[in-house]
Amino acid sequence: MKKRLTALMLVFAMIFTMAVLTACGGGGSDEGSSDSKYGEGFVFKHGFDLDYRPYSFVDDNGENGGFDVEMAKAVCDFYGWEYEAVPFNWDAKDAELNAGSCDCIWSGFTINGREDDYLWSEPYSDNTQKIMVKKDSGIATLADLAGKKVGVQTATSAYELLNDEEGQKELMETFADLNVYDTYTIAITDLNAGAIDAVAVDVTRAQEAMAKDDSLVCLEENLGSEQYGIGFRKDDQELCDLVNVALEALAADGTVAKIAANYPEIEEYITLGK
Amino acid sequence: MTFSTMLSTMSSGMWKTFLIFALTLIGSLPLGMIVALLRKSRFAPVRGFIKAYISIMRGTPLMLQLLVWYFGPYYLFGWNIGNWRFPAIIVGFVLNYAAYFAEIYRGGIESIPAGQYEAAEVLGFTKFQTFMRIILPQVVKIIMPSVTNEVITLVKDTSLAFTLAYQEVFSLAKQISASQTSFMPFLIAGVFYFVANYVVEIVMARIEKSMDYYK
Repeated sequence: MKKRLTALMLVFAMIFTMAVLTACGGGGSDEGSSDSKYGEGFVFKHGFDLDYRPYSFVDDNGENGGFDVEMAKAVCDFYGWEYEAVPFNWDAKDAELNAGSCDCIWSGFTINGREDDYLWSEPYSDNTQKIMVKKDSGIATLADLAGKKVGVQTATSAYELLNDEEGQKELMETFADLNVYDTYTIAITDLNAGAIDAVAVDVTRAQEAMAKDDSLVCLEENLGSEQYGIGFRKDDQELCDLVNVALEALAADGTVAKIAANYPEIEEYITLGK
Repeated sequence: MTFSTMLSTMSSGMWKTFLIFALTLIGSLPLGMIVALLRKSRFAPVRGFIKAYISIMRGTPLMLQLLVWYFGPYYLFGWNIGNWRFPAIIVGFVLNYAAYFAEIYRGGIESIPAGQYEAAEVLGFTKFQTFMRIILPQVVKIIMPSVTNEVITLVKDTSLAFTLAYQEVFSLAKQISASQTSFMPFLIAGVFYFVANYVVEIVMARIEKSMDYYK
């Protein structure tokens, strides 16, 4: 009897604690969303993947660099905001954004297929998904991929395209195997090592790899085509508008072109100001 | 990127790894003792709670626990977790390691024969005095090798902080390796972990040696 009573008390205590905590949490999150907090001195938390050359990566000096990082810093300078880098794991990007550890996902982020999931900035770059293979592999068309092993980075647009019924799922089902990697670097290393036959990848990332290694080549046929944008929380219209205004101004005064010139492999794909 | 740039970039990660390591030890060594003592509490609900805590901490991957500590406040309560990344890592590590240390302590405490408690009582020691002056000095000596084991594991486990994209040595090695298409960063990380553990071994051996009382 005594034991049962203690157990009952414990259960009540747990429910009570949870209820109190939930109540506190609910109250806390509702506040502060209405007033404008984007004045001078606002800390702009830029969420990105540090393994996405040439948009965001560790540069030769060991600093965070890339087209998106430089652009985000330029937007901060434009408004007098403070820039804060929030490198995250790509597969946790939604949780990071929603939980508020960053204010946007800005890291070669594909709009197509995710139109309703985020509040999107104007598209700033074109992107195409390609299949990259070794030159001597004998694979020349998408149809040649039947029975081959293909690699892709997890949670990327190429990965989603291959798993999308309306995308290239049918093609994917002809593969012998779809290997899902943490990063494209490992996928491409595996391709070179002969463990897989092809990599499904964004064209810009593919060009980056091909520039370093001339034994790699892309198929003529595209896997898909799409645009990059900056993803914001859906209730963050004000921040999204502000960034759009800044992007337009930076395109007009030539800043965008100047930054793009640092990344020749993607320069022609940048659509801002064109 | 030159080798020296690589090394200096990674040194910031080494400092962060050291921080996780040091704060985890500072937090979990004493907390483990409290947990071990509560585990022997006469009050059944406390005992049950502690048992469940140890069981969960040891029974689920630390990687998963880190994710829960970091994202939990948002998913459960909708809180904004702006600067919660580092604290979440420390909370996760301390609570996890405290559970392991508690069991090591318990093993040590239970290895002391009951006769010693009775003798102490006869000699007029209070319970607190008995524990601090008679039991604890022996326990510390007995558990030292197991503690060394855990500490060495901890050095390597710090790399699990990469799950939360914390920029410690391992995360940095991964990122630099990715952007520089080089395996050198992993080699540097490997040497770093080995040297760190070598230092731990030497320090722990010293401590063990300094405890050769009751020979």
